[in-house]
Amino acid sequence: MQNWSSRAVRLAIAAAAALAAGPALAHHSFAMFDMNQEKTVTGTVTDFQWTNPHTWIWLEVPTAGGAAEQWGVEGMSPNFLERRGWSKNTLARGDKVSVVIHPVKDGGKGGSFVRVTLPNGTVMDMMGGRPRPAQP
Amino acid sequence: MLLRASLVSALAAAVLSGLASASAAENQGRTWAQVAKLPDFTTGIWEIPLGPDAFKPQAQPALTPAYSARLKAYNDAKSKGGEQDNPSANCVPPGMPEIMGQPYPIEFFFGPGQVVIQQEAYQQIRHVYTDGRAHPADPDQTYNGNSIGHWEGDALVIDTVGLTPDTPLGLSYGLRHSAKMHIVERMHLTDPDTLQVTTTIDDPEALAQPWTTTRTFKRHRDWTISEYVCEQNNRNLVDANGRAGIVLAPPPKDQ
Repeated sequence: MQNWSSRAVRLAIAAAAALAAGPALAHHSFAMFDMNQEKTVTGTVTDFQWTNPHTWIWLEVPTAGGAAEQWGVEGMSPNFLERRGWSKNTLARGDKVSVVIHPVKDGGKGGSFVRVTLPNGTVMDMMGGRPRPAQP
Repeated sequence: MLLRASLVSALAAAVLSGLASASAAENQGRTWAQVAKLPDFTTGIWEIPLGPDAFKPQAQPALTPAYSARLKAYNDAKSKGGEQDNPSANCVPPGMPEIMGQPYPIEFFFGPGQVVIQQEAYQQIRHVYTDGRAHPADPDQTYNGNSIGHWEGDALVIDTVGLTPDTPLGLSYGLRHSAKMHIVERMHLTDPDTLQVTTTIDDPEALAQPWTTTRTFKRHRDWTISEYVCEQNNRNLVDANGRAGIVLAPPPKDQ
């Protein structure tokens, strides 16, 4: 669909935010995220906020002790995503999903969205969806 | 005879092309009939494609010594984990020139004596008066400034002054321009679906010489502008000391 990978786009937006390289300054700096680290969070969607300036995926994540943690994942805006294969119905409460994030640096339970694996196996990133990868 | 005929036809062509460009130059879009003959910027909406060139560094500006020192101080502080100054994290629009370089589309509206440019990001509007008026003698300082425009053939040339120094120059969040910034944009179609915007920024306090960059927009004929209310659910912030933050409190369950 897009020749340019979402990772490259994300890094470019982050670079533009961090270095203000050229023509674009993003809505916020990425200073609070560890853009060099990826973490996978697996849980149940408790809310999918299809809102500006960012979408938010809220997850209830079970812990080893049997309790649950709330995680929040900041994604691109609905405006950006709706033009790239997403809708407000891409995620629904109760969905069991895995979300890859750049975690916040301070150890909080949140991060910047990288990609999500939906219950049907489709992997969505900010540039759109891909079918489930072939299982080995 | 042949030579003479070709000379005559060459002369005629020169006269005709001269007339054509003169007549195009005369169309400033001040009546609806004239507006109808302007280049088509208004079908569909425009976005800077997210290709490898979208956010690539362009020609870097030559800063004055005072502004070089400001940028160095900011970068030094940032490298020590200090300031992450970014007012737009609080939903304050970035103003000109950065509002023209967002990862969101823009849309043009033409009317007699006026061009309106809507930016989806931050729901900003630029009014460009093409009715021949001059800038106010002492304009207020605003985010998008005071803009007047005219057509040079197929190119829309926009001249903007009256810009608040609270917004970035475009090089870095940590470097703002002065109130003397003056921007000239030249916009023209390089093909039916490509709009090239060449922006020259002059700022006698910040820049040692004018700084020119180019942005290329692609037309999307079937897209429409969407709502962008930044305050709807903004969980990013920058505090009074310029530190970036994020609000991770989950929304109420019944929302």
